Amino acid sequence: MSDRTTLVQIEDLTVKFPGNPAISHVNLTVERGEILGIVGESGSGKSVTALTLMGLLADDAQICSGQILFDGQVMAQAGRAQDKALYRRYQGARMSMIFQEPMTSLNPTGKVGAQVEEMLLLHTDLPKEERRRKVCERFAAVGLKSPEILYGCYPHQLSGGMRQRVMIAMATILHPDLLVADEPTTALDVTIQNQVIALLKEINEREKNAMIFITHDLNLARRICDRILVMQNGQVVESGRTEAIFEHPQEAYTKRLIAAVPKRKRGEEAVVTQQPPVVEVAHLNVFYPKQKTGFFKKNEKQLVVSDANFVIRQGETLGLVGESGCGKSSLSKAILGMNRDITGEVRHASVRPQMIFQDPYSSLNPAKTVEWLLTEPLRAAAARDDAWKMTADKRRELVCEMLRKIGMDESYLHRKPSQLSGGQRQRISIGQALITRPALVIADEPVSALDVTLQAQVMDLMKKLQREMGVAYLFISHDINVVYRMSDRIMVMKDGRIIEQGETKQIFEAPQEAYTKLLLAES
Amino acid sequence: MAYQSIRLFGKKIITLIMTLFLVSVAAFLAFQIIPGDVVTAILGTEATPEREEQLREELGLNDPPLVRYTHWIGGVLKGDFGRSYRYSKSMNEMMPVAELIGDKLPVTLWLAVLSVLLIIVVSIPLGVFWVRSKNRILDAVLNVLTQTTMAVPSFFLGILVTYFFGMVLKWFTPGGYVSYRDDFAGFLRYLIFPAISVALPKIAMTARFLRNSMLTEQSQDYVRTARSKGCSSRRIMYGHVLRNALMPVITFLGMIIAEIVAGSIVVEQVFGLPGVGRLLISSISNRDFPVVEILILYITAVVIIVYFWVDMLYRVINPQISKQ
Repeated sequence: MSDRTTLVQIEDLTVKFPGNPAISHVNLTVERGEILGIVGESGSGKSVTALTLMGLLADDAQICSGQILFDGQVMAQAGRAQDKALYRRYQGARMSMIFQEPMTSLNPTGKVGAQVEEMLLLHTDLPKEERRRKVCERFAAVGLKSPEILYGCYPHQLSGGMRQRVMIAMATILHPDLLVADEPTTALDVTIQNQVIALLKEINEREKNAMIFITHDLNLARRICDRILVMQNGQVVESGRTEAIFEHPQEAYTKRLIAAVPKRKRGEEAVVTQQPPVVEVAHLNVFYPKQKTGFFKKNEKQLVVSDANFVIRQGETLGLVGESGCGKSSLSKAILGMNRDITGEVRHASVRPQMIFQDPYSSLNPAKTVEWLLTEPLRAAAARDDAWKMTADKRRELVCEMLRKIGMDESYLHRKPSQLSGGQRQRISIGQALITRPALVIADEPVSALDVTLQAQVMDLMKKLQREMGVAYLFISHDINVVYRMSDRIMVMKDGRIIEQGETKQIFEAPQEAYTKLLLAES
Repeated sequence: MAYQSIRLFGKKIITLIMTLFLVSVAAFLAFQIIPGDVVTAILGTEATPEREEQLREELGLNDPPLVRYTHWIGGVLKGDFGRSYRYSKSMNEMMPVAELIGDKLPVTLWLAVLSVLLIIVVSIPLGVFWVRSKNRILDAVLNVLTQTTMAVPSFFLGILVTYFFGMVLKWFTPGGYVSYRDDFAGFLRYLIFPAISVALPKIAMTARFLRNSMLTEQSQDYVRTARSKGCSSRRIMYGHVLRNALMPVITFLGMIIAEIVAGSIVVEQVFGLPGVGRLLISSISNRDFPVVEILILYITAVVIIVYFWVDMLYRVINPQISKQ
């Protein structure tokens, strides 16, 4: 049935959750030693496929057709109850998984060493000392320093990158035949992302295990995978060797996905005119209160942004790139006036800037309707400034106008955020920010939580609104490609300092700083 | 780490002292403001003005409030809690508050200890059992049962317990209180039933709370990780979920414990237990201020100290807190 080289064979697999099918008639094979990429947007069924293979589906999910073979052994089959005991023998030992969220995938109350050791406890008879030694060895093998100390650490004491390394150590400690990595780097910074990808690739080459790499990021899939499987709406759209998929995509959907990847090519040239500035920042230092270190010592401050100098001009987009923790958000808070512990100068040309946040799921009040959410900034403005006082009818008119501008219509007025898709929610956030016609909008990673195609749509919308309304954007992102696509000028930030700024073209073609070159090389 | 813990401990102690000080001022002031004359309360309305004035002088009621407060708090700090206006030790001597309370405190404390033990021993296994049982009928039964138990006021539960265990099963004699001085075992046996009345509603609450907490934890990402390692559901439950689920439950238990230790007033009344709860009620209606003031200080101290220990325990089992 299966030859020597085939490790996983999924045949005609259909999985249903109560009510709706999650994946239908999926076929795939994984050869020993290869990396198979499963690419698709969220909701395309890529995670469900992996979870079904791993035997981790929720109890209410049901396999309606097909079967899963692992190394010739039937693991799951339609119409048969899941053999939990069989799966428990295989899980961890022969097939293991790395999850997307390193922040939440480890037990917060368990020491990381013990959590990795649990694998050995479950699947081997090694004595305690031996187990501990192996765990430390494994920590070292995945590039974690001082494993002995790390063994006794709790997850919250580690950075995201370290936690993901711990997860990888855990998943590979028993040298499984199959490693399933579900968006393992999505939650990480670019540089960390690259280290983790390199590590996974290295493990694959060293141990010759098969890997399923699930991602929405085509660039990433291209770099690591031997073969790629494209999924959409629970079905396999296309599969083939990586180069073949990228160079000669057959299906329209695949072509669209590839086209949506932000490339370093700008459609339109930047309008370089000397518009008046909407905000001028001079010698800005931003501080954060630090935890008291001694009982009688005074509160100390930590300098998080030092000596920032820049202007944002009317109608332009200034991109701000840097890793998390570099001070991007602190800088934006200082400009917004949310952090007043600053020295230096922030001069606004007009009223307060508005803000678009990263997470469209949690930044909208779930109890309110779209209409309420969009009128809220108007009410707030009216409370500050009599010029914004208006009748309820007038408000509704403005809201409807804004809805049309953001590509929605009146029919959404009474919906709540839970009845909107992620893209629609982010449109509402944008509408909220723009409805009071601010001169400047600060967008903090506005597309990072979205799929590639949605990302492209939201960025296009933001540009369209900029042309129509003449608003300036401070566009913050860790993704240099996204920034490239949006910005007229770019600032690069590292450790609280703006290390480089200039025209987008100039930054990309002739970066001056080593760090900028690194960022460009890694994306 | 050790240094930090000591510093934290020190801080908490300072907070405790400051709170007690403020409460002592508040308790003292309250009785300056509320209407009702102590002297009339003691002597009745028939006494002569001379006798009244004499008593006023004796009790120091003619001094300015600040002097009286300083005098009182100075005494408290030296261990002299003052004397009751109401209870007398012999013909000519009023009962010292310390003795009065010292006599009742063991009753309340033992009732609290038994109740808390009952709560912990029953509610946690019950909560775990509830989550693990996949039986829908059992789930519904437990749901209704705990809901009802939670809603029943403890005095009514007390009456039910007295009726059922006392009158029907005759496991104890209602009203037949045995002093801990005479027969400690008998005393404890008698206390079990009041303890059940105190504990039952709290058991229902805690079990429900734990169940909900565990259900929430079960859908966390780390549980999926544990499953992907090949953990059995049993191991996931006890090795991963329970510990995390207990975090909020501990805070909740702390609140319950403080409440119980501070006095299960109603239940003491129903079972005729001579505890501080009863003493507090009678002292308030008798305007026996020295007793009430000390009891208020005692209740405050208990609440703060219990919270303090809960906080410490929380730090031990929740590594994320101890970091800060």
